[in-house]
Amino acid sequence: MGRTPYWLIKYGFIIDLLSIPVGFVFAYGIFIHWKRIRMGTERIKLNISVSTPKIGPFYIKPFIFIGILGSKIYKKIFSGIAHGFLFWGMVLLLLGTISVLMNVVFGIPVFKGLFNYYFMGFTLDLAGLLSLAGVLFFIFRRIFPPQRITAFKEKKGFLLVETSIAFVIITGFLLESLRISYNGIDPGSFIGNWISGIIGKPGNIKIIYQSIWWIHGIVALAVIAYIPYSPLVHLILAPINSGLSRPLSGLKMGVMNFSELVDNVEEIQEDELPSLGVGRLADFSWKRLLDFSTCLWCGRCHEVCPAVLTGKSLTPKGIIVTLSELLKEEKFQESLFNYISINTIYNCTTCAACIEVCPVSINQTKAIMRMRQYLLMELSEIPETMGRAYKSLENRGHPFFGTGFGPNDWQKDIDVPIFQKEKTEYLLWIGCSVAYEERAQNIARSMVKILKKAGVSFGILPDIRCTGDPAKQMGSEFLFIEIAQQNIEYLSSLGVKNIITLCPHCYDSFIHYYPEIGGIYRVFPHVLMIKKLLDSGKLHLKKQNINITLHDSCYLGRHNKIFDEPRELISYIGKLIEMKRNRELSLCCGGGGGNYWTEEEGTRINRERAREAFETGADVIATSCPFCLLMLTDGIKGFTQENKVFDIAELCENFME
Amino acid sequence: MNIVVCAKVVPDYEVPASDFELVNGRAHKRFTRMIGLYDENAVEVGVQLKEKYNGNLIIISYGREEDIPILRKAIAMGGDKLIIIIGNSDDPYIISENLKMGIERIGDVDFVLAGRQSADMDRGIVPGILAGMLNYTFVPQVTQIELINGLWKAIQVTEKGIREIKVSKKAVFSITDDPGNIPRIPPVRRILAAKKMPVEKLNEIQVPPMQIEEISVDIPKIEIECEFLSVEDPKEAARALLNRLKEERYL
Amino acid sequence: MKTLIIEIIDAARLGELYTVSKFFTDTPDLVALGEGDIPSGFGKVFHTDEILGANILNALLDLIKDERYELILLSSSTEGNSIASPLASFLSLPIISEVIGIEKDFIVKKPLYGGKALVTYKIKKTPIIITIRRNSFEREDLKGSSNTIPLELKDKPLELLAEKEEKVEGVPLEEADIIVTGGRGIGAPENFKMLRELADLLKGAVGASRGAVDEGWVPPQMQVGQTGKIVAPNVYFAIGVSGASQHLAGITNAKCVVAINIDEEANIFKRANFGIVSDYRKIVPALIDVLREEGI
Repeated sequence: MGRTPYWLIKYGFIIDLLSIPVGFVFAYGIFIHWKRIRMGTERIKLNISVSTPKIGPFYIKPFIFIGILGSKIYKKIFSGIAHGFLFWGMVLLLLGTISVLMNVVFGIPVFKGLFNYYFMGFTLDLAGLLSLAGVLFFIFRRIFPPQRITAFKEKKGFLLVETSIAFVIITGFLLESLRISYNGIDPGSFIGNWISGIIGKPGNIKIIYQSIWWIHGIVALAVIAYIPYSPLVHLILAPINSGLSRPLSGLKMGVMNFSELVDNVEEIQEDELPSLGVGRLADFSWKRLLDFSTCLWCGRCHEVCPAVLTGKSLTPKGIIVTLSELLKEEKFQESLFNYISINTIYNCTTCAACIEVCPVSINQTKAIMRMRQYLLMELSEIPETMGRAYKSLENRGHPFFGTGFGPNDWQKDIDVPIFQKEKTEYLLWIGCSVAYEERAQNIARSMVKILKKAGVSFGILPDIRCTGDPAKQMGSEFLFIEIAQQNIEYLSSLGVKNIITLCPHCYDSFIHYYPEIGGIYRVFPHVLMIKKLLDSGKLHLKKQNINITLHDSCYLGRHNKIFDEPRELISYIGKLIEMKRNRELSLCCGGGGGNYWTEEEGTRINRERAREAFETGADVIATSCPFCLLMLTDGIKGFTQENKVFDIAELCENFME
Repeated sequence: MNIVVCAKVVPDYEVPASDFELVNGRAHKRFTRMIGLYDENAVEVGVQLKEKYNGNLIIISYGREEDIPILRKAIAMGGDKLIIIIGNSDDPYIISENLKMGIERIGDVDFVLAGRQSADMDRGIVPGILAGMLNYTFVPQVTQIELINGLWKAIQVTEKGIREIKVSKKAVFSITDDPGNIPRIPPVRRILAAKKMPVEKLNEIQVPPMQIEEISVDIPKIEIECEFLSVEDPKEAARALLNRLKEERYL
Repeated sequence: MKTLIIEIIDAARLGELYTVSKFFTDTPDLVALGEGDIPSGFGKVFHTDEILGANILNALLDLIKDERYELILLSSSTEGNSIASPLASFLSLPIISEVIGIEKDFIVKKPLYGGKALVTYKIKKTPIIITIRRNSFEREDLKGSSNTIPLELKDKPLELLAEKEEKVEGVPLEEADIIVTGGRGIGAPENFKMLRELADLLKGAVGASRGAVDEGWVPPQMQVGQTGKIVAPNVYFAIGVSGASQHLAGITNAKCVVAINIDEEANIFKRANFGIVSDYRKIVPALIDVLREEGI
C-alpha cells in the first residue's frame, strides 16, 4: 500500500501555508545582504573578453561546476565528500518534499509503483542517511576543529544550523519509522523499515506522532527562514559569487582608467577626484562586498598562504574576516587601516594560492591590492625598502636602486641583434631584473644563444625598459599606466607584434594589462618559446643523467596556467622530481608583490621554499622566473654553498646540441 | 609667507661607476635626469614649513626646458609654483645671478632653501654665492628650521655635533639630509594637480662666467681586484682575513 | 701669491691647509677662528673666537681688501663652507671648492658626479678662493705658537644658541687608521654595538654610510662620504654598505677596503680589496672572537 501524506495530521497544509511567512523572512534576509553589497561602488569592467558561455552577468561553467557542484570543496577529500553527502542529500530530500506537495495539490501519483520504490523509498532514505552522515561530520568538525577553522577567528553559527539540520533529519526518520510501524513496510525505505523494526509500535501514537511531526516541520521551516542570517546563506551566495567570477586566471586586477581624470584635470577640482584604491569599505566594488559576504571563514586560504607559513601578520582569511565583520556592522565609511595594518597589506606576494583554493571563488588578493593602491596612491604609505625601489622606478625607470650594472652590461661579451622595424619577427623583451641583477643576466645571455642557434629572427630594444609591473605590484596604477603607455607608444612606432619575455611578471603584464591600454601583442614566455623551438625541431637537447626539480613560478603557473610546458622541457634534459607543493599548490618564492624589496617579518619565504627544493635531493633546482632565481639562490645559501638553482633557459643553453 | 626652494635637475646620481660615461666632459645624455638628492630634502623641508606656517612654496630652478616635467615632482610634493630660468651653464655665478633674478620677481621672500651640494658638480657653492648676491645671511648644512618669536632658528649639522643658530636677517639655508626630512612620495592627486600648475619660464640674463679654465674631465679608473674569502666557517674566514691583512701590511 | 688661510684652530685642518699653501707661497697669513693655541709657521695671524661664518664675513671683506690677498684657502668643512662662497660673491672672485689635488702651474683637481669623474682646472686669474677636501693632503706638523691680532667683527646676523657635541668614542674618524663602517645592511641601531666592539679591538673608529644615518640609527657626525667625513685609513671595513659613489668618494684614500655584505652583487665589492659575501652577523662576531683569543 502506498503512503498517505499527512497521516494522522489534520490541517497539515498549515505547514505549507507557513512557508509563506518563512519565504518573507528568508527574502528579507537576502535583501539585507543585497542592500549591504550594493553600498559598494560600481564594478570596474574588465575589457579582456573571455570566450565562455554567459547568461547576463553569470558565467555558466563556474556557476555550475564551482558554484553548484562545488568542485573545489573536494580538494579536501573528507570535507568534500561530507559536504557532497549533506548537500545532495538535502537536495534529494527537498525534491521528495516537493513530490509530496505535487501529490497533495495536483494528485500526481508519487506514492505508486517504481517511482515510489526507487525514489520516494530507497533514494530518499539513502539521502537522509548520507546527509545525516555529512552533517554529523561537520558537527564533529566544529567540536574538534582543524587549525584553519579557528585561525584568526572562528565563525559562529555553524553548530546551531548543523544540529538543527541533524535534528530535522533524525526526526524525519523517526516519523517515517513510526508511520511504517503502524502502516506496514514501505517498499524501498530500508532505513525507515529498519528503525521501525527497532522501535516497534509505541502507544499514544497519535500524540507522539503529531508532536514530532509539527516540531519537525517547524524546525525545518525555521532553518529555511534562518538561512540568510546564518552561515547557510552560502547556499545562495556561493553559486552567485562563483557565477559572477570571471573565469580568468590570476588576480583579474584590471587597469584603472586615469585618462578621464587626466583629460579633465582642468575642470575637476582635486577633492572631487574619486578615491584611488580602497580606503573604506564603501570604496570596494559590490563584487568584493559579495566576496566578503560569501566567505565561510573556512581557512583553506590561510593554510596555503606563504605569509602565514612564515609567521607574518598577513592572513588572507583574516583580511576577509575583518572586512566581512565590518560589512556586517555596516561600517562603510571608517578607515580600513584602523583595522588592518599597513605591513599586513604589504606582506602579500600576490602568489594567488588563496584564490586557487577558495571553494567559493573569493578574490582575496584583489581586496588586498585595492587597499594597497589606496595606501600608495592616496596616503603615500609604503614600507621603506619597497619605497626606495618605487622611487627608483619613478625616477630612473627601473626599481633596482643601487645596482652596480649599467643597462647593457649583460650583453658585453655577446653580439645581440637590435629589433628592426618590419624586418625582425620577435622582440626579445629584456625587462629590468635580467639587466640589473648579475645572477639573472645569464638568463638573457642563454636565451640569446638559444634563439641564435635556432635561427629565430629576433632583436632587442636599444634601451632597457621595465614593463612597469613592479609599480602595479606595489600599488601604483598611476605609475604603471604612465610607463606602460610610453612602452606601448614606442612598441607601436616599431611595429612590434610578437614579444618573447624572460620574466613571467613582464609576460603577465603584457597578457593581462597591456591590452586594456591598447597594447596588444602575441607574447611568449621564454619557456614556451624554447618548447616551440624544440617541437619544431629547430633546437635539440642532450638528455643528461641528472635529477631536476621544478619550482613553478606563480606568474607562469597559477596566474597563467602554464604548468606542463616547463615540465616537458625538463624531461628533455633530465629526470623531473616534483616537490611536495607543486603546480597549483606550488609555494611562492616570496619575491612577488614587490616583496623582492622588503625586510621580511618572521622567517623568510624563500628559505622555506629553498628548503623544500633542497630536500628533494635533486641535482638541479629549475626556475622560470628571474625573481624566483634570485630568491631561491639566496634561500639555498642556508643549506648548501653549491649553486643548484638555474633558470630553464640556462639549462637548455648548457645542454643544447 | 613666501618660501623659495632652489632645485636642480641632474643626471642620475646612482649610475654605477662601471657604467659612467662622459661626452665633452659632462655626463652622457643617456642617463635619466632627476632632481638632485639634497634638493629633494630641501623641497621636503620647504613643504613641512609651508604646512606648519601656512606659507607659499615657490620652486625655482635654472636649467633646461625639458626638465620641467621632472620639476613638477617638486610641485607635487607641495610646491605652489615653479619658476624656471632657461639656460644650460654650469658656472656658479651665472646660475646664481639667474636664480637671484627669478627670486627678485617673487617679491617679499622670507627665506631661501637649497640642497647643500648638487649631485653633478659636487660643489656646494651656489647657495652661498646666491646669498651674497641677495645680501642674505648664508647658513650651510641645516636640517630643520623653526620660527620662534618671529625669528628663525636653524639646526646645523657639523663635523662634531649640532648647532642651534638664531637668524636675525633674511637667510639662504643649504639643507642636508636627516631622518626628519626624507622626501615624501606625493599622492597621485598632487601629481595630477601638479600637471596643471602654471610654470613661469624666464629667459636667462647674460652674466660673465668665473675666470677659471676647465682643462679636462676624466674618469679615474678603479683597478682593484677584490679577493673573495670563502665563508664555509665564519671563524676560519675571520682568521683568513686577518692573516691576509697582516701579510699585506695593512694591519 | 699672497695667501690667506681661514680656518678654525685645529691641528689637522691647519696642517692640511698649510701643506696646500706651499704650492703658492712660503708663508701664508691666517685668520684663526675659535679657541685654542695657534701654532707657528704663518705670517700675520688674526684671531676671533667667533666660529659662525656669517658673523665674520664683513670683517674678512675689509681685511682681504686691505691686505690684497691673491689666494684665500679654506677647508670644505662647515666653517669653511659658511665663509667661502658668500665671500666669493661679495668680492666677485672665482671659487673652486672640494679640491682634492693640486699640481704646479696652478692646476687644481676636484671631483664631479659624486666622485665618478675628476675635473682639472687651471687658475687664470687671482684673487681666487679655494676650499680643499679634508684628508686629501698631507698634514704639516706645525709646532710652536703665534702671536695674534684680534679680528674686529661688525654686525652679527647669527647667534649661537647652543652647541652639542656628539660624544666621539675612540679615535675621531678623520684621524683613524682603522675604521669599521656600518651601512643600511646593519638592520637596526643596536647592531652597531658589535661594530663598536670590533673597532675597539682594532683601536679604530666607527663610521656609517648615509643609509644608516637617514634611518636615524647613528648621528650624522659618523657619516663617511662625500657630504660626510673624508677618511684615509689603512683599513676600512665596509659592513652592510652597498657602495654608492657618494660613499666611495669618502674613502678614495683608504689604503685597503674590506667589504662584508650579504649581497654578492653590491657595488662595494668593486672598490674592495677583500670581500666576504655573508651575513655580517656571522662574520663580525667571529672576527671579534678571533681578535680576543689571538690578538691582532
